Amino acid sequence: MSRHQRRRQSLLRPRRLAAPPLRFFMPLSLLACLLALLVLRGLATNEVFHDTRIAQSVDKTTVPESLLKGGPVIDARGDKKANPVSYRIPDKTVVLSFDDGPSPEWTPKVLKVLAAHGIRADFFVTGSMTTRNPELIRQIVAGGHEIGLHTFTHPDLVYQSHTRISWELAQTQLALAGVAGVHSSLFRPPYSSDASAMDDWNYPVIKYVGAHGYLTAFIDRDTDDWKRPGVAEIVKAAMPTTPGAGELILLHDAGGDRSETVEALEQIIVKLQGEGYRFTTISDALGASSAMVPVHGFQLWAGKGFIWATHVSVVTLPLLVGLLALVGFLNFGRFALMIVLAPVHARRSKRQGAWGPPVTEPVTVLVPAYNERECIANTLNSLAASDYPIEVIVIDDGSTDGTADIVEEMDLPFVRLIRKVNGGKPSALNAGVAAASYDIVVMMDGDTVFEPSTVRELVQPFGDPGIGAVAGNAKVGNRDSLIGAWQHIEYVLGHNLDRRMYDVLNVIPTIPGAVGAFRREALQAVGGMSDDTLAEDTDITMAVLCEGWRIVYAERARAWTEAPASLQQLWSQRYRWSYGSMQAMWKHRRAVVSRGPAGRFGRIGLPLVVLFGVVAPLLAPLVDLFLLYGVLFADTPITLASWGGFILLQSVLSWYAFRLDREKPWHLISLPLQQVVYRQLMYIVLLQSTITAFTGGRLRWQKLRRTGEVSAAPVEV
Amino acid sequence: MTSPTGQRGRHEETVPLRVPENFARHEDTMALRIPAQWRRDHDTDPAPGPETQQEEQRAPAPPRGGRDRYLDLLRALALVRVVLYHNFGWFWLPLLFPSMGVMFALAGSLMARSLSRPALGVVRGRMRRLLPPMWLFGGIVITLQVLDGGGPDADGHPTWWWAKLAFWLLPLSTPPYAEDGLHGLHLHLESGWATQLVVPLWYLRAYLWYVLLSPLMLRALRRFPVVTLLAPLALVIAMNGFFVEHDFVYQRVWETVNDFATFGSCWILGMAHQEGMLRRLPQYVLPSLAPLVMVAGFWYLQSRPVDPTQPTDIEAWPIAQAVWSFGFVALLLHLSPSWERWPAPLERWNGLVSLLNSRAVSVYLWHVTALVAAVPLIDHLWDVDFFYEHLKWLLTSQWFTLVVGVPLLALLVLAFGWVEDVAAKRSPRLFPYPRRKRGKRRVAV
Repeated sequence: MSRHQRRRQSLLRPRRLAAPPLRFFMPLSLLACLLALLVLRGLATNEVFHDTRIAQSVDKTTVPESLLKGGPVIDARGDKKANPVSYRIPDKTVVLSFDDGPSPEWTPKVLKVLAAHGIRADFFVTGSMTTRNPELIRQIVAGGHEIGLHTFTHPDLVYQSHTRISWELAQTQLALAGVAGVHSSLFRPPYSSDASAMDDWNYPVIKYVGAHGYLTAFIDRDTDDWKRPGVAEIVKAAMPTTPGAGELILLHDAGGDRSETVEALEQIIVKLQGEGYRFTTISDALGASSAMVPVHGFQLWAGKGFIWATHVSVVTLPLLVGLLALVGFLNFGRFALMIVLAPVHARRSKRQGAWGPPVTEPVTVLVPAYNERECIANTLNSLAASDYPIEVIVIDDGSTDGTADIVEEMDLPFVRLIRKVNGGKPSALNAGVAAASYDIVVMMDGDTVFEPSTVRELVQPFGDPGIGAVAGNAKVGNRDSLIGAWQHIEYVLGHNLDRRMYDVLNVIPTIPGAVGAFRREALQAVGGMSDDTLAEDTDITMAVLCEGWRIVYAERARAWTEAPASLQQLWSQRYRWSYGSMQAMWKHRRAVVSRGPAGRFGRIGLPLVVLFGVVAPLLAPLVDLFLLYGVLFADTPITLASWGGFILLQSVLSWYAFRLDREKPWHLISLPLQQVVYRQLMYIVLLQSTITAFTGGRLRWQKLRRTGEVSAAPVEV
Repeated sequence: MTSPTGQRGRHEETVPLRVPENFARHEDTMALRIPAQWRRDHDTDPAPGPETQQEEQRAPAPPRGGRDRYLDLLRALALVRVVLYHNFGWFWLPLLFPSMGVMFALAGSLMARSLSRPALGVVRGRMRRLLPPMWLFGGIVITLQVLDGGGPDADGHPTWWWAKLAFWLLPLSTPPYAEDGLHGLHLHLESGWATQLVVPLWYLRAYLWYVLLSPLMLRALRRFPVVTLLAPLALVIAMNGFFVEHDFVYQRVWETVNDFATFGSCWILGMAHQEGMLRRLPQYVLPSLAPLVMVAGFWYLQSRPVDPTQPTDIEAWPIAQAVWSFGFVALLLHLSPSWERWPAPLERWNGLVSLLNSRAVSVYLWHVTALVAAVPLIDHLWDVDFFYEHLKWLLTSQWFTLVVGVPLLALLVLAFGWVEDVAAKRSPRLFPYPRRKRGKRRVAV
């Protein structure tokens, strides 16, 4: 894979490479949409912006005396902004008001009682209940009752900013317009009681709301029905202190068991009607026109849109939660598999002579090189120090920077150089395999450095005749930079611990191109390397597995490779990897229904790779989505705590992986940052390659195939 | 997924491959086998990628004559942020850019550079440059104060009044000012205007202490780097976390020690940066740890008791301030790209940044005065009918104070800024805006 394909790709897709931000666009907008859905649904369930703090009463120095001693309805609108006035309910008149609703259980019962007596009342509804129960709002309006705003999320407005207060009101109006096509100019602050309870903190809220055209309705009589004191108590509390005085009574039709309220309501009505009281709405009692005005045009349609989107979100949420559960299951499942299987592998690899007699025969090392001027000398010198008999074949794949000249100049006795015109890494490797003198072929990259013992450790498993290929342990050499440290963690945890797990299950899906060994027999049996995919190493590994060979992981065969040092390079590398391995999986899809060893890989290995390598990372954004939602809109401490727990778990696992690999754990300090920057980058890459695979993949594949056919015969020097 | 090999396209951005320790003994062999001509080629032909550039900067920087434009930019940003904060009081501004920590880190870095010379001379030089602008400021403030009814007899202890004036000469503790009871200079100023004016002085007091103790701190830093770096943080946490009631300490001592401890770690971080200690750490360490430190500071801030009507301001919580600034400054210093020339998009700001840098002390000392003076000026506009009728929103706007205050500040700097030149033994200039060279559109010096 690598170098060659990258160039081809850039020729094919110049636009995408020229405008990097575009690649974030689709994945990010998808995520933004999902987040918006979450927030809408959270609004409806009153989870978003939920604030349960209730302000303690303070001094009343700024509240005019006349208001404190006045009636329950405060008018601070328009020209009364500077000097608000209050109104009383006229004598022998009573207004019933129901807060916090509507609720599907109790509101219909309340409405039934009211209808039975032919009485109109006021309902102070919250926006979230309105969006959840649109039908009830319509019933309330149809019954001739009056609707007032009780904010959207029912917070104590004292704690909220002006922006938030405005939003609470506007959002509730939006919901009302959406479900019933009306706006209301009546308002009651949450946690309020009678006008004498106004103080220095909540009075400014009343003035602010008044300045925006709302009439604030407090109460005269608080029945405390939400405390469920008993029907008799509620009825008693609702009776006027002075017989005949007008009153505004507070009851609740939501927020818990309201059976007492419904029962008491019947008695209150009967009792007060007996005393000659008239039941009506607030506006009517004050002799004003109705507080509710129908809305038309944009406002109506915006409201309908909001309600519709909220419904979509409420319906979608179970799906999202299900997917999140799947992510959790996959991640924890992978952790569990690792924790169980990695120690098995570690124990096994400690045993001496596990593979039968020690392998001592010489092997061929293939070094495909394309423009590796900076590294090739290091690579060859590291091979020179090998403590195992080797023959090295450098295949210069048409380098333009004099790589071949460097090799020639070095004039190492054990190195052979093959110059060929550029044809891609698979063709270079095939040329090398054809020229190899020995039966075991070690493959490495031109920018990789072996330890002296790497080749020896790598070929020992071939003592077992059933083993067809061996994967080595690739290590990040440049791990001192931040991006290097992240990749180091990823290699140790993601690749190496994964590989141990797959080894024990005998389904290693990838032998790293940086360090791996094959029996030439196995390579020839599958027809050599192919350039069908962008990930020829995954492709060949799967092919060898399907042929029935065993593949094992030799952890002590370490190769030091140079990881991409910039985000740009990392991006293109990972794009090729994920796209290439998807191609490889697709290419070997028939293994699922095959018989024999191929079927075993197809039914165990392939599903695991698809689940852990594609499905889990593809769904990983959901974790961040819910994290973001939880932190910004819902319960921040709990969200952060559970996320911190997840990071901790991951740290413990990583620490174990580092210990298995005999690495010092210092780099793990980068893990938290890796989780909030690097991981996202990786899944956006995967998302992008998936989108590519589904949209234009086929076309590109054919073009790649054609380009691959233009390889010339190798010229040996 | 697929193989974890280094599959870069080209090698423009190569970082030298680290050979594992246990393999290093082979390095001599490797070096020997690389033909001489290729080795030379490697040395003389560094790839021009950004990474290579970074490598160069990571190498211990040779003392250069030119200014580091990055540090200049930070200083200018810090100043602008301070002015904005004192005008608007937005609680998020100090989080966005912790000016004070940045300023002290820059000063610490410069101090460490100067301390290659004998310490006594360096300290004397620093004081010579710091004190005259402050004396000028103090002379004017005290004169105004005395004229406005804040003379020696105002608080009934004339001897103390005269004695405490010594802190205006050498601000080892906060210089005295009339906290209340002033008449307002016939300008309808508040009776505590002097309190507002001297708000910036704590910085000079803290700076003085840092300068005095720098030789000691630098020696400690070289001996025990980690302990020295974290000692001020530990001190501020101990002071504010465990001794909330501190009546047993004289208030002047407490505030001096507290301010010193709050930003001490930033100052020492600047020194460590200058000493090349930060560059010796593996590159991943600072960017990994600094965000964690900042998160800790932010968490501490968020968990403080809140006044429901106001967001918590980090300036009121020394521990949060110290920790947040420390992490932020560490990140800034880690980036530290050492610009000898401006990057093209920033070049246009060269003039303003240079001006702010050469008048930093004056701008800092006088900006509150300008903002305070802007208020009575704006008050006069209320008497103009047109403004009263149509532009009330403008008169009540905080932005308008800024719009009036900035030219006032320019005037004040014009009037008193030259003293900075005198203190630095340069020939005094009225307005040190960099002049364009003939034939060049912009100067990027």
